[in-house]
Amino acid sequence: MTLRNPKLWLAVPAIALIFVFMILPITNMIEMSFRTPGTTEPFGEEFTTMHYDRILGDGYYWGVLFRSLFTAGVVTLLCLVVSYPIAWHMSKAKGLKAVFLYACIASPLMTGVLVRNFGWMIVAALNGPLNDVLLGLGIIERPLRLLFTQGLVILALVHVFVPFMVLPINNALRNINPSLIEASASMGANRREVFRDIILPLSFPGIYPGMILVYVLAVAAYVTPALLGGQMVSYMPTLIIGELTGTFQWPFGSALAIVLSVSTILVVALFTALTAKLMERSKA
Amino acid sequence: MSDATSTFSYQRPVGLTFGVLIVVLYVFLMAPLVMIIGASFTESLMIEFPPKGLSMQWYVEFFNRQDLVDGLLMSLRIGAITAIVTTAVAVMAAMAGQVISGRLSGWFQLGMTLPLLVPELLTAVGLLFFLYKIELGRTVIGLQMGHILMSFPYAYVSIAAALRQVPGSLEEASASLGATGWQTFRLVILPLIMPGLAMGAIFAFINSFDLYTISLLLKPLGGNTLPLALFDFLTYEFKPTAAAAATLSILLSIGGVALVQKLVGLQRAF
Repeated sequence: MTLRNPKLWLAVPAIALIFVFMILPITNMIEMSFRTPGTTEPFGEEFTTMHYDRILGDGYYWGVLFRSLFTAGVVTLLCLVVSYPIAWHMSKAKGLKAVFLYACIASPLMTGVLVRNFGWMIVAALNGPLNDVLLGLGIIERPLRLLFTQGLVILALVHVFVPFMVLPINNALRNINPSLIEASASMGANRREVFRDIILPLSFPGIYPGMILVYVLAVAAYVTPALLGGQMVSYMPTLIIGELTGTFQWPFGSALAIVLSVSTILVVALFTALTAKLMERSKA
Repeated sequence: MSDATSTFSYQRPVGLTFGVLIVVLYVFLMAPLVMIIGASFTESLMIEFPPKGLSMQWYVEFFNRQDLVDGLLMSLRIGAITAIVTTAVAVMAAMAGQVISGRLSGWFQLGMTLPLLVPELLTAVGLLFFLYKIELGRTVIGLQMGHILMSFPYAYVSIAAALRQVPGSLEEASASLGATGWQTFRLVILPLIMPGLAMGAIFAFINSFDLYTISLLLKPLGGNTLPLALFDFLTYEFKPTAAAAATLSILLSIGGVALVQKLVGLQRAF
């Protein structure tokens, strides 16, 4: 029996770390969401469903929830559109060129989200480079106010998450056997058909985890909307952190977090069900 | 080469349009970083790109700002402790992971990378309540635990990958020559996994250095990490000092990327 292997004991600190400081606390949060509001403490002693009643009965929260789920969807799709060509290009590169391309993906990835978002504040400033380029190309006639708009939040989030999508797709593309493509080309398939019937399905094992990861992380992204979104538009994460640090309504903040998590899981489950066929094809 | 394959150039679907597209996408990826670095050398009082003139005054200003320097020092200290602790715990976990087989092995991998897969916000909220309960709320130790948790998967993934490259026969040979488990680890396995281990430590350090949301919720009384201090600075002062601070952070990550390339190669690391 493998359990007798003494090496297994080495896993105890790691399991303890993740269990005690992550699984237990998140489970606690569920309990917290049913607590009554506190007066002197951040939460009360009694249990209630009032926070859920309040969220589900108020159109405002539905609106914010929908905006968060929808924005994350847009971010995920844009990420896919941006990442696929990059991953394709990378998967063909070798030697020094490959090292350079990997460095271009890894450097933003290893730079903090706050720093990268700050970079977008410079890019999108009223007299900044982005407006200069758009003016120069004649696309706009006078500088646009880009800062504190939803568009910039989406752009900055795409920038944050592109590496998360590029890397798995690149790995999937690298794993495609080139002889498959040659075979179908020699049998008369044109480029579009090869892409649609061979390459796309075979890269799906990279696309799928990339999209799920980006969606889940984008729904709960806090820094970007907080820094670039301005005061006018709320997203679920900014609401949640506001309840927890501003007004100290821990039970209500927890209920918001749980509603967000459950909705995210539902969206991911729906996506998985809809793409089950594609996944099957990639295995065949 | 037959006609069919020569017109069908799947190897290079390049064309001019695709080339332009790729350049635009890489500009998109690098632009924010390049502009921060550029803006940090400006002579003017505005954060702008292209910079006006060339000066180091904002770096001087950065190191004269007690709040930002305190933030930097705190981030460096927490990052260093995070790197050391996660690496030690991850080496042990990865060695245990090697002897788990079959379906359980997949679950173990998943569990070890959980802090990476669950949004930081949820973990942060849960930890806020939990630390309050065990009376570590608003303390440096609590924040440190949060950083260790969030950075652990990076160390684990790097070290587990390095361990998989070590042939099991080496361990058996070492044991048959009479080495104890500890001797085998220290003299045989450790030198072989050193590059992967160093990479894990670098990833853990940089991840900790970059964390924002969890630091915001677990912020100790009277202490700020650099990202927290930088956010406040951007909200209230928006001067090129922020670009200088951000440039230091970018240089750190570029240094990390270079080190990883040197240690194991970027292609294997990602």
